[in-house]
Amino acid sequence: MSTHITCDGVARRDFLRVGALTGVGLSLSDYFALSSQGAVSETKGKAAIFVRLGGGPSHMDTFDLKPDAPETHRGEFKPIKTNADGVMISEHLPKLAKCADKFAILRGVSHTLAAHELGTRYMNTGNRPLPSLNYPHYGAVVAKEIRGTEYLPSFVAVPSLGENATGYLGVEYGPFETGGSPQPGKALEVRGLALKNGVTIEDVDRRQNLVARYDNAFGEFGKDDKLLAGMDQFGQKAYAMMRSSKARDAFDTGKESESITKLFGTDQFSQSCLLATRLIESGVRFTSVSLGGWDTHSDNFNTLKNKNLPTLDAGLSGLFAALAAKGLLETTCVFVTGEFGRTPKVNARGGRDHYPRAMFCLLGGGGIQGGQVVGESDAKGEGPKDKAITPDDVAATFYRALGIDSRKEYQTRTGRPIMIVRNGTPLKELVA
Amino acid sequence: MRTVVVTLLGALALTAPLIAKDAPLRTPEQRFADLAKAEEPSFRRHVVPLLSRAGCNGRECHGSFQGRGGFRLSLFGYDFEKDLEQMTVKDDGDEKQVRISREHPEKSLLLTKGTNEEPHKGKERFKKGSWEYNTVLKWIKGGAKSDVEATGEFDRLEVSPKEIVFKKVGDKVQLKVLAYWKDGTIEDVTQLTRFRSNDDSVSTISLSGVAEAKDKGDTHIVAFYDNGVHPIPVVLPVSDKVGPKYPRLATTSKVDEHVVGKLAKLGIVPSELCTDTEFLRRVSLDVTGTLPTPDQITSFLSDKSPNKRAAKIDELLKTPAYAAWWATKLSDFLGNNPRLLRGAMGNGGNYGASFSRQWYDWMYHRIAKNEPYDQMMAGIILATGRTRPDQTYEEYAKEMSSYFRDEKPANFAERPNMPYFWHRTNLQKAEEKALAFSHSFLGVRIECAQCHKHPFDQWTQTDFKQFQAFFEGVSSAGSKAGSVKPMAKVAKGEKAAVDDKGEKVKPPVTYASLLKEIKDAVPADPKGGNNQKALQTEFDRRVKAGEPAPWQEVYAMVVAPGKGGDKNAKTKGGFDGRVLTPKVLGGEAVMLNEYPDPRAPLMEWLRSPKNPYFAKAWVNRVWASYFHRGLVEPADDMNLANPPVNGDLMDYLADGFVKHCYDMAWLHKEILTSATYQRSWKPNETNKNDEKNFSRFVIRRLPAELVVDGITQATLASDKIGKYRDEIETRAIGPNANAGSAGKGGKGGGSNYSLNIFGKPVRETNCDCERTTDPTLLQTLFTRNDPELLNTLEQARGSAYVEEVRRLTSNESTPEKLKDSIAKLAPAVKKLEEQLAQNPPKKEKLEAQLKDMKERLTKAEASLELAQKRGPVSQEEFINQVFLRTVSRPPTATEIEKAKADFAAAKSPAEGVRELLWAMLNTREFMVNH
Repeated sequence: MSTHITCDGVARRDFLRVGALTGVGLSLSDYFALSSQGAVSETKGKAAIFVRLGGGPSHMDTFDLKPDAPETHRGEFKPIKTNADGVMISEHLPKLAKCADKFAILRGVSHTLAAHELGTRYMNTGNRPLPSLNYPHYGAVVAKEIRGTEYLPSFVAVPSLGENATGYLGVEYGPFETGGSPQPGKALEVRGLALKNGVTIEDVDRRQNLVARYDNAFGEFGKDDKLLAGMDQFGQKAYAMMRSSKARDAFDTGKESESITKLFGTDQFSQSCLLATRLIESGVRFTSVSLGGWDTHSDNFNTLKNKNLPTLDAGLSGLFAALAAKGLLETTCVFVTGEFGRTPKVNARGGRDHYPRAMFCLLGGGGIQGGQVVGESDAKGEGPKDKAITPDDVAATFYRALGIDSRKEYQTRTGRPIMIVRNGTPLKELVA
Repeated sequence: MRTVVVTLLGALALTAPLIAKDAPLRTPEQRFADLAKAEEPSFRRHVVPLLSRAGCNGRECHGSFQGRGGFRLSLFGYDFEKDLEQMTVKDDGDEKQVRISREHPEKSLLLTKGTNEEPHKGKERFKKGSWEYNTVLKWIKGGAKSDVEATGEFDRLEVSPKEIVFKKVGDKVQLKVLAYWKDGTIEDVTQLTRFRSNDDSVSTISLSGVAEAKDKGDTHIVAFYDNGVHPIPVVLPVSDKVGPKYPRLATTSKVDEHVVGKLAKLGIVPSELCTDTEFLRRVSLDVTGTLPTPDQITSFLSDKSPNKRAAKIDELLKTPAYAAWWATKLSDFLGNNPRLLRGAMGNGGNYGASFSRQWYDWMYHRIAKNEPYDQMMAGIILATGRTRPDQTYEEYAKEMSSYFRDEKPANFAERPNMPYFWHRTNLQKAEEKALAFSHSFLGVRIECAQCHKHPFDQWTQTDFKQFQAFFEGVSSAGSKAGSVKPMAKVAKGEKAAVDDKGEKVKPPVTYASLLKEIKDAVPADPKGGNNQKALQTEFDRRVKAGEPAPWQEVYAMVVAPGKGGDKNAKTKGGFDGRVLTPKVLGGEAVMLNEYPDPRAPLMEWLRSPKNPYFAKAWVNRVWASYFHRGLVEPADDMNLANPPVNGDLMDYLADGFVKHCYDMAWLHKEILTSATYQRSWKPNETNKNDEKNFSRFVIRRLPAELVVDGITQATLASDKIGKYRDEIETRAIGPNANAGSAGKGGKGGGSNYSLNIFGKPVRETNCDCERTTDPTLLQTLFTRNDPELLNTLEQARGSAYVEEVRRLTSNESTPEKLKDSIAKLAPAVKKLEEQLAQNPPKKEKLEAQLKDMKERLTKAEASLELAQKRGPVSQEEFINQVFLRTVSRPPTATEIEKAKADFAAAKSPAEGVRELLWAMLNTREFMVNH
């Protein structure tokens, strides 16, 4: 009966012990473990770009058109052919139509949370939100699972992600928020890294020495105490980052070659996509970019036609092209999603309302089998035709593409064992 | 003398001998090993615990919700009916699915899998022919019957010895566990008990219950049997300073007595008392969330009175910052989250931040006047939207508007109660209310028991459902129906009814009727839209005018069991069709219909002296706040398997808190005045590894709000720094930052970004762990080089110390120069005033000139006063100031020398100060409480 321990709630005890020994949680021990193995400077590896379409894009007018649906439903847009056999998308996405072989379209993705916040939580974590538990954003999990580089954060949000992206994992896996979006040809000044307020590299060096001169109140105990020693380590790493021209260059899209920059538009979204590819190239593991304005309760068609779709088309096609040109597409998984779809029936204001029963997602790169449609919505786009794809399945697929076991168990801070994705199964059409 | 009967079951019971109390009880092995002579085993008392101990119903085995190999047991046991069904009933007609063969008991899968005769993924759990095997076999032969009814209720476990104090590594002690049943049965269940060590590195425990010392330290061994959970303390002293060798330590307080009592067992000698500067910094941060100012430090150091520490504690407990910091902490514990507070006109109202602020203010005022804790909590727990029993909905709706009206808004903090806890949108279902309630007010996490037997406590799913039943009738949507004064009934379709005198009676105002009024007042959207904005504008207009508006109200009604109060309760309230009587956790069943409000008996229970959680939860959280770990740790996870590290101390403080009528100030003082709180962080040989018995001060990073406010305070000009502590509105511990508007329009303290990266909780889940003080790389980057920090250094609130130094050290700031400019400015001002008195043309321009000139004059006068008061400005004074402002102590001689050298290299004194300030803000000494 010696193995009874593995079957019986022992994980909590392990967790408590780790906590007791380090006194400061897992961030430091992780860091020590990594740095002692000399592993923190590895730059090659799997990575991801998460494109969030805030507000909930209409599936019927983008990637899941229903030309045969009744007039009340089908909307104004026509489907066009793409470079992938049999795959049709909206006529207002011509550039994406030319690179549809690089991504897969998931249709009939379905859930039941019609409020922005809850839907967003579900789609950004792969777990249906619970009142008793906050799940971590994909980026936090990736930051935990895939080793980053010495001089760059693992998880970067352009420009921000809002509150509590880390859920039960804790702040150490939180996003590095750039705070702003890049402008064409200019270095993005990111907080903490950019040399602002007249600070020069010389100042950085001088100040590093300055801290060392005064930061010794705890004497030898400063080396013994886990908290104090850890804070000192972070001081060294912060210094390395601030000093590194590589780190600053990573945020400088002005240093990008013309062959790459010409793939993108000059708007914020395009430039953010460009930055995302550059960050991944430099060793960032997870970058989130976002394009809002999809909450089209009224005047859906003009908004999409004139603004959202051309913007998305330019940025996202550029993203795929740039990743391919940089040789990063095979290792970088791109995940595009909103929080839900929109009502198949057009409302009296020419708009569409929240509709989680049927939505779309895109997955591409990182070994995802592109150029295909997976899943299907019914004739009027009102729900999945047969079996629904759940957000959990999409999440499991995404993690599989990154080589992360979505059924891996973490401990929440309350000691509760919990799988990264509780209910999802990877879609085998997409990942081997 | 009382005699007891062993296992009265089946035919064998008749032959079971009566055993005198002191005779050793037979072990399960003795009773069941010999198949021929064995007693009849009991399903509940023997078979299930055996399977449980063998790990069969563990999470990774058949306790998994998916089951394993088609066989699913209830996780951690306790759903006896279902477990029996899984073993004995075919679920899809497949013969192989049945795990018990009545015809051929030996061929039962339960046995052949357990012994690995049939290939078993879980390998061999017991040997064929072993007593365990025979127990199960005998039970199957006896008909594989359930006996849950017959065994009756389990009473308690008794574990001996009651405590283990090892002498050296490798020492072993056999534990013995007795199970007491309510029917009087007592059994030796050592061999049927699951054991667990809370820290394997200190002591392990074998399957058979042998504890073995592994390393110095202390922990608990926990025994689990049926729903009994019993921990015993285990200690291996860390030094030879035990017994007579332990130094004689004078303890002046009860707290110290209990702490040292435990330390003596462990051979740990506590650290010395901390210095006065350390104490002042520590206690100011802990009690008021605020650094001491240079003036406060200087005067405290020069104070020669022997009880100045106690006096300081008294003083701090009377400051607004104390109330603010603890209102912040209470907001954490109770989930005061602006984004989750709705209740104005459906979900449309943008009143979350206002509600959050009101909630904070309501608590702030009560903490400030030291209202008893139980009274404040009762004001939250029992809150209803209406503030008087005879208040109509219309009056309530008007009262709510009165807090927001433009003209003389009413003061929400004066409301007798505070209903927003129940408004939380993540508290809609009864089960969510039960979870949040137990977390907030009991410090107990019962979420495990929502789905299965709690693995570390006595709670079963039935306990959870019975507790949940209290909350079925608590609602926060719309208005309470049928609660208006008796009215003539309004028949359907009729506009108004007629009373007995034949006069028309207006139908009562309800949430729905007010909503309709708003809708009617707004012209329809020509596009046919839902008109959200216009409706909101009309709502806001009414509110600002103080008119009744559709506010949702919290109300509670007693709901007949099973009927369900809200639509969620209807489907989820029942439990397997059984009607459940509400029952307080670990206590008595309650007849709800004896109460007007189902929460009333809950509150009675909280206040009863026997309540095991209410007072302890608060005591533990206060302790955790001062020592970085609770007596029970995590501080909101009180469960049987997680006993307090010092039980006597917990009992002393909790009992004292109740005896002092939940006087929060008493509790704070009792802890803060102890030597235990005032220990130095400097370790000695015996306590350097101790972080949980309070033998030294454990260094920890400052909480987010304190970092952010501390940076601001350290960089403020001298004339601002003194008032900063009390300027709650602008602080990160203040109401604005708490309502989520930190940084917006300069109202709150700091930015949401900085508060976020330093770990301010968002208050979304039922867990104190949302607040974190772990260090991260982003935090370091922030203090090193973030524009927010760099800007603060130069221009904190428009009045930075660096700027002050710049002024003081510029040539313009010598007393002579200042006197000169005053001499010029004063007559100029006078002249302008005279000109203005004659009402000249271009009056505005002159007025602006005058205003500017007056400001310059005031500034010059202030600077002069400062300059004269200070005398000549000295470098040393600046250096001293920077140290006092950041690390709350004067610099050492070496530090002064270093700083002088750095100043010499700087372009100006102001730059020297800025760089030194920057450096000190980046030291660990600033960033931690020590």
